Amino acid sequence: MTSKMSEPLHHPASYRDPSGFVFQVNGIYYRQVNQPYAEDYEKLMSSGLYATLVRNKWLIEHQEIPTDPAASANGYKTLLPAQINLLSYPYEWCFTQLRDAALLTLSILTQSVGQGMILKDASPYNIQFVNGKPLFIDTLSFENYDAGRPWVAYRQFCECFLFPLYLEHYCGIGIGKILTAWPDGIPVPTTARMLPRKSRFNPGALMHVHLQNMVKPAPGKSERSSFSQEKLTRLIQHLESIIKKLKPLPAAHSTWSNYYQETILSSRYLDEKQRLFRDFMTGLPFRTAIDMGANDGVFSLILAERPETSITAIDADGACIDRLYNTLREKKISNILPLCIDLLHPSPAIGFRNRERPAFNDRAGADLVVALALIHHLVLSANIPLRDIPGYFATMTTGWLIIEFVPVEDEKAQELIRNKDRWHQPYDAPSFEQYFGEYFSIGKKSRIPGTERTLYLMKKHQP
Amino acid sequence: MIRNLLLYIDPGSGSYLIQVIIAAILGVAFYFRNLWWKFRSLFFKGKKDQPPKNDEQDV
Repeated sequence: MTSKMSEPLHHPASYRDPSGFVFQVNGIYYRQVNQPYAEDYEKLMSSGLYATLVRNKWLIEHQEIPTDPAASANGYKTLLPAQINLLSYPYEWCFTQLRDAALLTLSILTQSVGQGMILKDASPYNIQFVNGKPLFIDTLSFENYDAGRPWVAYRQFCECFLFPLYLEHYCGIGIGKILTAWPDGIPVPTTARMLPRKSRFNPGALMHVHLQNMVKPAPGKSERSSFSQEKLTRLIQHLESIIKKLKPLPAAHSTWSNYYQETILSSRYLDEKQRLFRDFMTGLPFRTAIDMGANDGVFSLILAERPETSITAIDADGACIDRLYNTLREKKISNILPLCIDLLHPSPAIGFRNRERPAFNDRAGADLVVALALIHHLVLSANIPLRDIPGYFATMTTGWLIIEFVPVEDEKAQELIRNKDRWHQPYDAPSFEQYFGEYFSIGKKSRIPGTERTLYLMKKHQP
Repeated sequence: MIRNLLLYIDPGSGSYLIQVIIAAILGVAFYFRNLWWKFRSLFFKGKKDQPPKNDEQDV
């Protein structure tokens, strides 16, 4: 703690739970525990549950700090949690990321119930991907377990985790699209209407979606019921077993899947591009990088070979990001965060006052931006004028840009304009260099052998 | 009996009732599954006489 502290800034998304709140001082995030939560917090710490969850790397680690920077009248304790570099949200995750987050929530719930506590909410916003794995970040989500009461967050778990997974499993709509439209989960009746008829023959979907949609307590009657730990455990195990079996619908709609495997440019092009890319990377001082249009993450994996780096790999295609995420889990690579981001429609700022979840472009930024085989899609497919593109990259990088220019003569570019008789002009290498020259200086430039494409290493002009 | 607590999230109308119903269905399924495995073990003694773990169940 520095002696001179700025005013505490209450995090705009941290207001729902009266147990406490997150605030920021001097760029460091803290979590305040309020007096009414004191008993539950002490039980979390003294029961050994916190230690178990942290040991399993399921829950974010924190330390209690002696001072109270928030200086709130209601304050009980102030926690300094491990800091997270880049926040991501469920509508930016691929299927398997949401599935892993759901399973983590259930594992934590099982562990908590075994130690006399229970999760009082089941929001996917309580989870962040850190070091390649989901991590539960809300230390105040635990409360004393009353075995006679069913799980208060069951409906929320279904709407935020289970239903999006079912919709992807049966309909292949795309998790991001679903959760962008319903950031707080898809209501039961909506899910029941959207799922195909065959889902009624699946016992899990029948019970958790269709039966749940039909069950309504008699009006005016309070819901009273007896429950037990055995029943809750059975319910959790059932949810786990069905979630483990869910798979995304085979990606017939995937635009970029197997781009590098199937492209006619393939093999030699990829080898040469990798060679040049490694050459450009040599000696480049970066700790963070964003690979835009990462596809399967071939180049993100090269970036991640350098130790102590943190890479964000983004692509609009959920199938590509899903495959990359699975590759990372298999190879135990922890310094790449894959996210489904469409550069043409990046995640907007949402929530109350548009301030709860910042837009992707306001959250992300890196020492190095990589944009390979991307620019022709932005100009020729998406009709973004070439002159508007360098300014965007300049806002996303603090230092460096590795970018591939794909001229209109390139066979892939030709495919994009096959049915078009006009596109934004100019689109050629001299104009590319001129427009990018307003924000960057060219460090290295090299034609990729056997193609019309050119790879550039650029350094951002410093003010 | 459900304690009258001040909850910060709305559990949702019918969400307790549905859990009771699902838990009951799972309980019945669990009972019959165990019965089936006991019956099976009479004929296939020594072989796979353990019921599958919950992960493998299909309910």
